[in-house]
Amino acid sequence: MVILGTFAFEEDFLAAARNLTASGFDNISLLSPLPLDEAQEVLGLGKSSPVRHFTLAGAIFGGIAGFAMAVATSLVFILPTGGRAIITIPPFLIITYEMTILFGVLFTLMGFHFVSGLPAWTDKPYLSSAGTDKFVVVVEGAAGAQVARAETIIRDAGAEEVRLEEDKQ
Amino acid sequence: MSQEENKSLFDHGQPTYAEVNEDILSVMLETGPKYWMLLGTMASIAGIFFFMPWFYQLIVGVGAAGMNRNAVWGSYLSNFIFWIGLSHSGTLLSAVLHITNSPWRKAIYRSAEAMTLFSLMTAALFVMVHLGRVWYVHWSFPIPNQMGLWPNFRSPLMFDVMAITTYLTASSIFIYMGSVPDFAAVRDASTGLRRRLYTIFSFGWRGTAREWHTLGWAYTFFAVLVIPLAVSVHSIVSWDFALSAVPGFHHTIFAPYFVCGAIYSGTAGIVTVMYCLRKFLGFERYIGQVHLDSLGKLLITLSLIWSYINVLELFSTWYGGTSFELEALSFRLTGFYAPAYWEMILFCAFVPMLMLTKKIRWSWNKMLVISILINIGMLTERFVIVATSQPRKFLPGAFGYYVPSWIEISITIGSFAIFATLFLIFIKWVPAISLYEVKETLKPLRRDA
Repeated sequence: MVILGTFAFEEDFLAAARNLTASGFDNISLLSPLPLDEAQEVLGLGKSSPVRHFTLAGAIFGGIAGFAMAVATSLVFILPTGGRAIITIPPFLIITYEMTILFGVLFTLMGFHFVSGLPAWTDKPYLSSAGTDKFVVVVEGAAGAQVARAETIIRDAGAEEVRLEEDKQ
Repeated sequence: MSQEENKSLFDHGQPTYAEVNEDILSVMLETGPKYWMLLGTMASIAGIFFFMPWFYQLIVGVGAAGMNRNAVWGSYLSNFIFWIGLSHSGTLLSAVLHITNSPWRKAIYRSAEAMTLFSLMTAALFVMVHLGRVWYVHWSFPIPNQMGLWPNFRSPLMFDVMAITTYLTASSIFIYMGSVPDFAAVRDASTGLRRRLYTIFSFGWRGTAREWHTLGWAYTFFAVLVIPLAVSVHSIVSWDFALSAVPGFHHTIFAPYFVCGAIYSGTAGIVTVMYCLRKFLGFERYIGQVHLDSLGKLLITLSLIWSYINVLELFSTWYGGTSFELEALSFRLTGFYAPAYWEMILFCAFVPMLMLTKKIRWSWNKMLVISILINIGMLTERFVIVATSQPRKFLPGAFGYYVPSWIEISITIGSFAIFATLFLIFIKWVPAISLYEVKETLKPLRRDA
């Protein structure tokens, strides 16, 4: 069973989330029209993100790949220029720099998708008011007495509306 | 953010969350005949002034442009630098202000980032136009081919290819990622095909705490990566010039000069775009005096830095005392193009000082005029650098003059129409103001608020 509680005020929404986690509900989602630090804290999302590992990996990979590409292309297509060295470090560092950033960005994008679980076009519990001006608490996987308990917690916190839906997954 | 700061961002009272969605999405979802007329006009101007002369040039060759043996670089490259410069408005400003957590950024950054993207596209078009045989453009990319040819990565032009490709990719991702929650809002507010499209665009975004948390961090990492990238892009563009031994080009100050000029012209561009957003899309409620005032102060600072670098360039040339550098300098200050040089100084060094008075800084009409004058000055600056240096190289026998042909002038005019067309398309596909970031600047939805 899925329980969706709609709130008009942030503090009610956060109180419901805190009470639900304190009561042992671990499969909850907090939907809001804007980022809320407190909501992230309730879920223990912390002050950093695994996305940073992707950024670092991408930057390292890009840097190595960029330098290797500049060296390799110079060696397979030798273009003597005024007696200068074929492998010239200063200009190749510029290519390295650009590729570091390019792959840093691309890997960050991958990291975002991986960590956030997006794209997720499957039919997940959602209320469109959460994209406008409401805060929605979603409790998934509740069964039996848990449903009534979750509903009570949400109502007691000041929910405007509580909906019960069948689990779709 | 304090209540005082909150209030100062909105001239006409704070909207509610629902009103933010309604106001901003209505611009996207409701389209009147005026919009189509404007779009049609801009697209027609782009076609007639940009693409038709370019097509003509493709048929007869680049000789149709005014470039010749004295000046093999002309207005196409000065336009290229100008548009690359303008592109520094959005991403750099947006990223810097995001990192420094400036609340006034939130209402204007989306359009500024769009400016970046479309300026870059326009700049890339100028490379194609300048190239002549555009169908060989893929030779500048490291693509395996049967001829065994590879790009020369020791050339500044290849630095450019890598830098601009990276910048275009990073800017596109930057603006797209920041728009994902707003695409979800469009999805929720629309029906039919549009709803299906925005379901795909929004990746199934629901606004969960985990999604916000991940987006926030990813966006910060993007910003951190994009700032040095933007600085490197215009530094690299400057090295197209500074790494050659041509008098007038060969200056060590060129990288900071170009970067400063780019941010300067980009910021002026933002003022122009903000004026249009307010005037024509009815965003007076979201783009207010505080934005104008902050941008005005930023422009004064950038103008002073830009002026300082100009003086420094003159001084170092004079102090160096090299005969050919002095000749190029004298030609720039007193020769054929002297009026253009002094116009640039007037528009970029003196006119912006008018903004020192609050009365001017707080007037949208006056700021619009100043922002346009600054960008005319900056376009002239790029032209002066290109046109007064190459035709004035070492041997007097090789001295000459470069005058743009009607094709180049037409293509220059057309490029502004291309930019306007792309921007007009953008405002119908992406919310021009970030919904969720504006909501962050509003009073929180609390009982006690």
